Amino acid sequence: MTPAIIELDRVTKRFAGHVAVDRLSLTVPPGVIYGLLGPNGAGKSTTIRMLMDIYIPDEGTVRVFGGTGSGREHSSRIGYLPEERGLYPKMRVIDVLVFLARIKGMDGRLARTRAQEWLERLGLGEWQSRKVSDLSKGMQQKVQFISTVLHDPDLVVMDEAFSGLDPVNAQVLKDTVLDLRRRGKTILFSTHIMEQAEKICDYVCIIARGRKLVDGTLADVKRTHGGRHLVVAFDGASGDAERIFADTRLVKKADGTQQAAELELAGDADAQEILKALVSSGARLARFELAEPSLNKIFIDLVGPEAATAAARPEGAIHG
Amino acid sequence: MDKVFAVIRREFVERVRTRWFWIGTILGPLLMIGIIGFQILLAGRTAAERHITVVDGSTTEFGARLASQLARDVPRFHVTRVPRRPGAVGALMTEVGAKQLDGFLLISDSTIEFGAAEYRGSNVSSVADMEQMESALRRLVFAARLERHGIDTLVVQQAEIPVHLASHKISGTQLTTESGTQSFVTGFGMAILLFVAILMYGINVMSSVLEEKTTRIVEVLVSSLRPFQLMIGKVIGAGSVGIVQLSVWVVSAKLLSGARHLFGVGAAGVGFEFPSIPAATLVVFVLYFLLGYFLYAAIYAAVGAMSSTEAEARQAQVPVQLLLMIPYLSFFALLNDSSSPLAVWLTLIPFWSPIAAPVRWGAARIPMVQLVASLAILLGTVVLVTWLASRVYRVGILMTGKRPGVKELIRWIRTA
Repeated sequence: MTPAIIELDRVTKRFAGHVAVDRLSLTVPPGVIYGLLGPNGAGKSTTIRMLMDIYIPDEGTVRVFGGTGSGREHSSRIGYLPEERGLYPKMRVIDVLVFLARIKGMDGRLARTRAQEWLERLGLGEWQSRKVSDLSKGMQQKVQFISTVLHDPDLVVMDEAFSGLDPVNAQVLKDTVLDLRRRGKTILFSTHIMEQAEKICDYVCIIARGRKLVDGTLADVKRTHGGRHLVVAFDGASGDAERIFADTRLVKKADGTQQAAELELAGDADAQEILKALVSSGARLARFELAEPSLNKIFIDLVGPEAATAAARPEGAIHG
Repeated sequence: MDKVFAVIRREFVERVRTRWFWIGTILGPLLMIGIIGFQILLAGRTAAERHITVVDGSTTEFGARLASQLARDVPRFHVTRVPRRPGAVGALMTEVGAKQLDGFLLISDSTIEFGAAEYRGSNVSSVADMEQMESALRRLVFAARLERHGIDTLVVQQAEIPVHLASHKISGTQLTTESGTQSFVTGFGMAILLFVAILMYGINVMSSVLEEKTTRIVEVLVSSLRPFQLMIGKVIGAGSVGIVQLSVWVVSAKLLSGARHLFGVGAAGVGFEFPSIPAATLVVFVLYFLLGYFLYAAIYAAVGAMSSTEAEARQAQVPVQLLLMIPYLSFFALLNDSSSPLAVWLTLIPFWSPIAAPVRWGAARIPMVQLVASLAILLGTVVLVTWLASRVYRVGILMTGKRPGVKELIRWIRTA
């Protein structure tokens, strides 16, 4: 087996009596997109910060690239995009990028050429000599993203990668991430938005209150935690749907609106029976499909609605 | 090391690029020109013509002699004499009010007897006018008293030749050409430069730390650099800007002082000469500037890391500034008696020695033992404070929210 890119072994971090991360273990194999998922305050950022050597774990070990020592010792091979974005507002765009590459040990001239290439590629070529503060927020995010990948790292770590991005930038980011994976890079990112994770992740790890609930390949997680699912959508009349969905012999759990619903089938219930009952009650169907459960559904089932609204964030010192 | 150099470079280049760097660099010498110009102006004002009337209440020819002597002694005084009679004072007051006259001098026989005289005028606040008038009067009265007792005029004239005390500093055992005034100017100049420079560049470090904190870029930085590397790079970077700026100032001061005669200052007879600075003094100055800057820059880095906003940082740095002000304010005491116990203490206490020791050195050489002890203590403190500050810095830069109290700071320093 190829050695793991990241290995966390029973990592724990406490802040002023509050346990942010509790004996968390996870393994990220090379060349995958790994999603660290959880509600706000689950401990995602704290985990990532321990990985990046910004916080030191109280217990447990962090191994990156199979060696000992965590993020900073390997900083030339890691690109990090923190949750709280920031650049030097008074510096010129190109200078910020070169500086951030240099403190990762990259040669200044090479960094300048690469930065120009990246700026061109993301449509910011004309802005390279402007001050960061002259750029729009979306453009600044692109610059920050460039700073994360400029030194061609083998591992890219992004905390809440997609938060605050407009749809265009989100697409650019997604394409770039997929491109990185094609080139054999490993990407770890955290998010609390399941739809995004579902689209691009190979592996996921769901955490809540600092503890791991489940991890593995996306397909495995869906298989083991999903059950059989049925997606139903109506075209106008929904007949007696409400009563049929409430029948526990057929449906274990229903989730949705008047016009569309995701159902988890009970035990050995037959989907055809539901279809028959709906049609005979006068419902007009737009969609009736046996499906994998959505990641969002698994997430809510696992985390529970009360945890999904998140443990209150600790004050002051601690972020995430 | 490359990483630290990248931080130094950024800090230096970004600062030198700002408008404020150029304004400060150019404004410094301009300020010096301003001070010199002000002196010229003062010199010009002192040389103003004065119209003075002697109101003679004496019964001898003393009044008449005084009037003509005063006019001769101080050529810019135009002196007239009127005998004292009722109503004379009132009329002269009107003339002063109408600015036809600057003032009038009231004398009588008791001027010789008891030394009593009175001057009323619109120019009494001019120290030069009053001093020159008083010294002329003193000489005349002195001569008149001697003559009254039958002493030869020639003897009197000889007795009047004034003494001029020339002061020259002995440096070690070497006689220098430096006068007392020059020693004073050197000391004063160094005190101001050191105080301003240490404070200004220290505060630069603080705001740079704060900028990285408030923009949150610090998180990216510490994932690539150790916080200590970041802090050291920042301190050295801002410090090298300081050295460049100070060099510009010192060189332009030298050039300006060389060009002083162009302004005609020497001719105006103002007792100010830009001192020649011996190499040893320069070495002492540079050593103490560097160590003092490192000491205070480390403290300022920690203060920046402890604060979350500019306003909070400004407040938190007040005690630091006060600490640095103590030696600055002790400046006169240091020059008056540069070997007093106070001076020795100021030289040895590391937070004060960066200003006190060079000033003392400028006034009179410090015993070698004291100088070495002072530098050693200062260096040790720099190392210790940098270490403490880096621990506060490391925790502080990632903190947001309330500023920590003393107890919490101690906890920060202790955490591994």
